[in-house]
Amino acid sequence: MSDVANRRTAHVVDCAGVSRTYQEDAVPVQALRDVDFQFSRGEFASLSGPSGSGKSTLLNLIGGLDRADEGAIAVDGVALNRLSESELSDLRLRRIGFVFQSYNLIPVLSAQENVEFIMQLQGVARGERAEQAVECLASLGIAELARRRPGELSGGQQQRVAIARAIVTDPVLLLADEPSANLDSGTTEELLKLLRRLNHERGISILTATHDPMVMSYAKRRVVLRDGAIVEDSAH
Amino acid sequence: MPIKLLLQMSLRNILRHRRRNGMMLAAVVVAVAAVVLMNSMIRGMQQDMADAAVENLVGHVKVLAPGYRDDPGIARNFALAGDWRPPDGAPEVAGWAMRVRVPAVIMSERGTRGIQFVGVNPAQEGISFLSSARMVGESLKDASDGRIIIGQALAEQLETGLGRRLVIITQGADGLNREAGFRIAGLYDADGEGMEGFFVFTGVGALQEMVGAEVFTELSIRLHEEPALFALKDALVEVFTGLEVLDWRELEPQAAAMFVFADAAVLIWFFVMMGALVFGLVNTLVTSVMERIRELGMLRAVGMRPRSVVAQVVIESSALMLIGVAVGIALGLAAVFAMGDGLDLSLWSEGVESFGMRTLLRPVPLVDDVLLIALLSLGLGVVASLYPAWRAIKVKPLEALRR
Repeated sequence: MSDVANRRTAHVVDCAGVSRTYQEDAVPVQALRDVDFQFSRGEFASLSGPSGSGKSTLLNLIGGLDRADEGAIAVDGVALNRLSESELSDLRLRRIGFVFQSYNLIPVLSAQENVEFIMQLQGVARGERAEQAVECLASLGIAELARRRPGELSGGQQQRVAIARAIVTDPVLLLADEPSANLDSGTTEELLKLLRRLNHERGISILTATHDPMVMSYAKRRVVLRDGAIVEDSAH
Repeated sequence: MPIKLLLQMSLRNILRHRRRNGMMLAAVVVAVAAVVLMNSMIRGMQQDMADAAVENLVGHVKVLAPGYRDDPGIARNFALAGDWRPPDGAPEVAGWAMRVRVPAVIMSERGTRGIQFVGVNPAQEGISFLSSARMVGESLKDASDGRIIIGQALAEQLETGLGRRLVIITQGADGLNREAGFRIAGLYDADGEGMEGFFVFTGVGALQEMVGAEVFTELSIRLHEEPALFALKDALVEVFTGLEVLDWRELEPQAAAMFVFADAAVLIWFFVMMGALVFGLVNTLVTSVMERIRELGMLRAVGMRPRSVVAQVVIESSALMLIGVAVGIALGLAAVFAMGDGLDLSLWSEGVESFGMRTLLRPVPLVDDVLLIALLSLGLGVVASLYPAWRAIKVKPLEALRR
């Protein structure tokens, strides 16, 4: 990926003619059909649609967790279909932040250690790592929870720690898959205000797959999928 | 991925399932302790067999006339100066004994037995069992002592006792039978009844006089340490041209075979015990990995390389083994030292003697064996972790996250 690694493009995500078919019990299921999708820097967009519409599939393909059968996907100017598994790992580590539906924090590490973990993978020095982790937790209003382990935190608190882990290394893209699925409405609203602040203040590009109308309402752009195709793409 | 982070996560993962890993750890401790104890017992048996073979009038190296082993008798003899010493340049020896050893028949009023009649110089017999055997009555005074000492078992067979006279018949150097009466000075109690019923001792001068020749049939030499054996043998071969120079392994092939078998038994026992344990370890690790497959999927999703996942599982397994091995070795050695006085096997004395062993078995822990157990156990720990690690990285991150 070295030839394109540092190329800065207007689109942080560029999908062209992307298709993906899964085999379910030996029956082919087309999750995405010839999808074209561009996502610019600094955008906050939601991918929505009914179950099986292909929103999570698109998110996973953009995140390099899955590979398209046809078409091309570029993230921050890097063509994903040309990358090996280890190069994809490196891209995920250095350019993409992930927020998962069920938080997926490491249960044996404290909140601060979970946040530091990504920086450790990147090889950031210990002092700098701790300083950035504390600062990041503080900016999300959970500095006092730094030493607690995930099992000692509420769902909302865990999701904040997960967001801190995702943004602490300043990724070019934050991908969130159903971030509010396990949260009550009050906590969801707090989380969305936080994401919007991060988008406004730090210019982080946020792409989220969701069923939740509240999440859609906070996103500046709404992309609706149905049967593996984009049927609506609107800004508001 | 930094090794410190891997260590930290691995150790915390071990603590995460205390009961399961505690039970696994206990199994490792018990297995390693059992291997240490059992191997020390095997080494004790091995050393005992070797010592018994060497002390059984063999020594580490023996010089014999050609053909003596096939046809032992006074005709197969050699002359040796009474003040003979090992040659210059030979390894330092613990001692040597010049003997006459002939087949003979011993008779009492109540019975007759075939025996080995051995003429010894008591001053030289510090190298054989004769010096340490329990004795009732008196030992031989010197090389010219014309009395005999016999084993307690033989005394019972012949229904005789201290102070009684026995008649011994053997062949003289001239080929004619010689017969003489000997008074019993003492009854020795060796560890093995076989020896007690077989060896009868008198002064070497007295036996030379009986057979009519101032010759010897064997020169037995004992070393301080076995490794010097081959150097001594080489030195003696140069001095005793025309004679056979044999080491104890050649003279006692059964004991030598058991000695070699004991080396293999140490490893066989290890692999039987630890091999069974590895299946348990693999099972525990697979369970542990599959329980947190989502977590491992997340780690890979955010950029952890598969090799780091493998390293994490390997470290967990190795850490379990390391702790188990350390505690197990300590426990095993404690058991060995608790048995320092030895294990009394006299209830099975006949079977034990048939292996050339004594009835008191002392465990002998060897540093090399303990190190081997530690290294092999840790190696097995790594091997055992490879399959669970492979299972962990076989599942793709996305698939793992969906579970």
